[in-house]
Amino acid sequence: MPSFSLAALFQRSRRGRLLQENLTAYAFLAPAGILIFLFGIFPVAFAFFVSLHRWRRFPDAYIGLQNYEKALGNLGYILFFWLALGGLIAAAAASRRLLRALQQTEYKKGALAMLAGGAGGYVALLAIDWFFKLVPAIMLIPRQVRGQNTSLPLFMEKLGESFSQPAVQAAGALLPGALLALALLLWLSLWRFRSGGSAALVSYSAVATVMLIASLFLLQLTITETEAALAEARASGEALPIWSQLVFISGGIALIGIAYRIFQRGIRALDNRRFALMLLGGLALAVGGYLLMAEAPAALAAADDDLLHGFWVTLMYAAGTVPVQLAIGLLLAYLLFQPIRYRGFFRMVYFIPYITPFVATSIVFRIIFDAGRSAPANRLLAIAGIAPQRWILERNSIGELLGLPDFLAGPALALVVIMIYSTWTYIGYDAVIFLAGLGNIPGELYEAARIDGANGWRIFRHITLPLLSPTVFFLSLVAIIGTFQAFTQIWILRTGAVGSKVNTASVYIFDELQNSNRYGYASSMAFVLFALILLMTIFQNRVLGRRVFYG
Amino acid sequence: MAEARTRLNWSRLGIYAVLVAGVIVAIGPFLWMISASFMTLSEVNLTRLLPEKLLWENYATALRRANFLDIELITDPASGRLQALSVSGYIWNSARITLITVSGSLLVCIPAAYAFARMRFLGRDFLFALFLSTMMIPGIVLLIPHLLTVIWLGRLSESLLGPAGAWFNNWPALTIPFFASVFNIFLLRQFFLQIPDDLWEAARIDGAGHLRFLISVVLPLSKAPIMTIVTLGFIGSWNALMWPLLVTINDEWRPIAVGLANFVTADTPGDLNLQMAASVITVIPILVLYFVAQKQFTEGIAQTGIRG
Repeated sequence: MPSFSLAALFQRSRRGRLLQENLTAYAFLAPAGILIFLFGIFPVAFAFFVSLHRWRRFPDAYIGLQNYEKALGNLGYILFFWLALGGLIAAAAASRRLLRALQQTEYKKGALAMLAGGAGGYVALLAIDWFFKLVPAIMLIPRQVRGQNTSLPLFMEKLGESFSQPAVQAAGALLPGALLALALLLWLSLWRFRSGGSAALVSYSAVATVMLIASLFLLQLTITETEAALAEARASGEALPIWSQLVFISGGIALIGIAYRIFQRGIRALDNRRFALMLLGGLALAVGGYLLMAEAPAALAAADDDLLHGFWVTLMYAAGTVPVQLAIGLLLAYLLFQPIRYRGFFRMVYFIPYITPFVATSIVFRIIFDAGRSAPANRLLAIAGIAPQRWILERNSIGELLGLPDFLAGPALALVVIMIYSTWTYIGYDAVIFLAGLGNIPGELYEAARIDGANGWRIFRHITLPLLSPTVFFLSLVAIIGTFQAFTQIWILRTGAVGSKVNTASVYIFDELQNSNRYGYASSMAFVLFALILLMTIFQNRVLGRRVFYG
Repeated sequence: MAEARTRLNWSRLGIYAVLVAGVIVAIGPFLWMISASFMTLSEVNLTRLLPEKLLWENYATALRRANFLDIELITDPASGRLQALSVSGYIWNSARITLITVSGSLLVCIPAAYAFARMRFLGRDFLFALFLSTMMIPGIVLLIPHLLTVIWLGRLSESLLGPAGAWFNNWPALTIPFFASVFNIFLLRQFFLQIPDDLWEAARIDGAGHLRFLISVVLPLSKAPIMTIVTLGFIGSWNALMWPLLVTINDEWRPIAVGLANFVTADTPGDLNLQMAASVITVIPILVLYFVAQKQFTEGIAQTGIRG
């Protein structure tokens, strides 16, 4: 008699085996999936939700985009218009990909899969809406049960109360039916009437739907909030030129983009056309630049100065560390790549600053760059005959110290110390990655160049550097994002004497969170930072990425 | 010919000069840190290069003053026999946190990476893309939601398990958010993809399922990536500062980076020699690990370009 087990039942049919494989995979994935959802995907929506509220430890009133207005002034609203627009463009791109995939599948099955995906996206958004209606009440539970004897029944009672709020119930009323319909559609499209491209179609369609609805929601939110701000300004008799600023600033940026394209064309064109194109590009650049210069300060007038200063510090920090560390890293890697002895030893030593705890090495730098006359850095200066400096205690900028005019002020000397530290830590890392990149360049190219009579510098310039450009690109991206994330070294190396002179945007946000408990405001600033990083990554990919030569 | 050789030697010499200068810059601060940790305070203040006498007691004082490690033997007063051993301090905390984080991460990431690499299931590519996209979210955006989530989950588990179930200022807040590392999943998946299909075919004919295959064939082959994950995870937990600053309020679970930062910032200008000794103590475990597992470090980072 055959043994009758669940496994045997599964094994009997092809579909049974498929189902078993699927279920095993989901079981394997479940712990990671739950945790990544909880600590990776959900937090983004949650942070955005928090940023729309006045929120000090515990949720307070919904205030729309006011946190963003506080951070960036009118530019906060403008930023949201751009975000919504970007979302719509992304939705259009996703739809195009969807249509292309649809053309390659059997028409009816494809349409079914598309419908299922769209329903999936819609249901996901419904569930998110329902969940975030629930969140404010849920987030109050920890405070409500604190002090009382925290027991499971009490917690569950509070949870039940939050679920039975009218607003939550109204938002969730459709959900069970929608889930059921979705399950049916998914079963039909992915199981009963499955075709080759079904799974891809479902996911494309879901992504397109989510993007479209989310960006429409964002657009609507932005317009309502802008109107509200305008109405408020009108009531108090002020002028609030958000619309004109939106048009002019967007126009200015668009013109600069167009100028860039025209220049690109002009370089390739013939003499006469080249001159005309250059002229046109210059004109576009000038007008765009003028619009930006004229309007951006006004749009930023009401912004948080500390945050703007934080961005400025981040910018100086990036400009002062990234090129230097890449150049030195490349030099060391290139030298290490020559046929020399003890290569392993050198590589090992260069890597040490990067792997040791930043806290500990920052403390050494704190002592080396102390303000005392006998601190190591000042001792070195004394050998060179230079007067001692106050280093980490110096809030004056290097420009001021050198007696340069104001617009050449540059970073505070204290920030320069942090830059030196940062460069010191990352050089070894850059060198190791460059070394790996150098190893990937085929040796025949060098041989061929040598036969053609090229010397060291020309080989480096025309063979090594172009073939290394993907590595340079990668490292510069990592390094720039790293400056946005830098925390430990600033935390240790900043002193009371320099105040906020060395606070990058991230550090300012963290201060705002830890010292003032302004969760809503800190979230909105973090989101602005996120938007900035995202923009920069896209820009780097689009503009610089094109110049990268992939073998 | 002779001329060419001398020129070659000169350029050689130049290369070595630059490389050696690099070595001095790279480890000079370390060497001075070690040297200063043995000095008297006035020697540090005068920036001596070497101490007159090695003050080993700096280390004992630093360990105690910075609350790095405190081992107490609890003996029975009547018989004098050893009853219990109480260990506390930041080193102990960091060791515990690191152990929990790394082992939890392996437990969570290995099956997930295996599923992505070697199984076919609905929505695999979509989920993988979704997971990867979370890697570009900057940490500062996640900080507040993580804090709120951790407080909430902690209250829930407290009502289930009593005070021991707390998350905030306890090990779960410091470890659980880092279990599911997309980076680790990605690293392992890339490795699992390279395992030949023949092995799986053979195992299946022998009646093994996925779990069996994973445990008895894949894992023994994957020592290299697992070592990379362990070393990078170790550095990550040992160095963590921002998140622990936020979720610890006392020394019960506070890790070493926070302890050292507090010790130094509370002690300004302070006993620099002790600060140096405390820094050396913090650095030593990482350096030891680096010298032991250097290959995993450099190659793991060079392959993937990301620090744990």
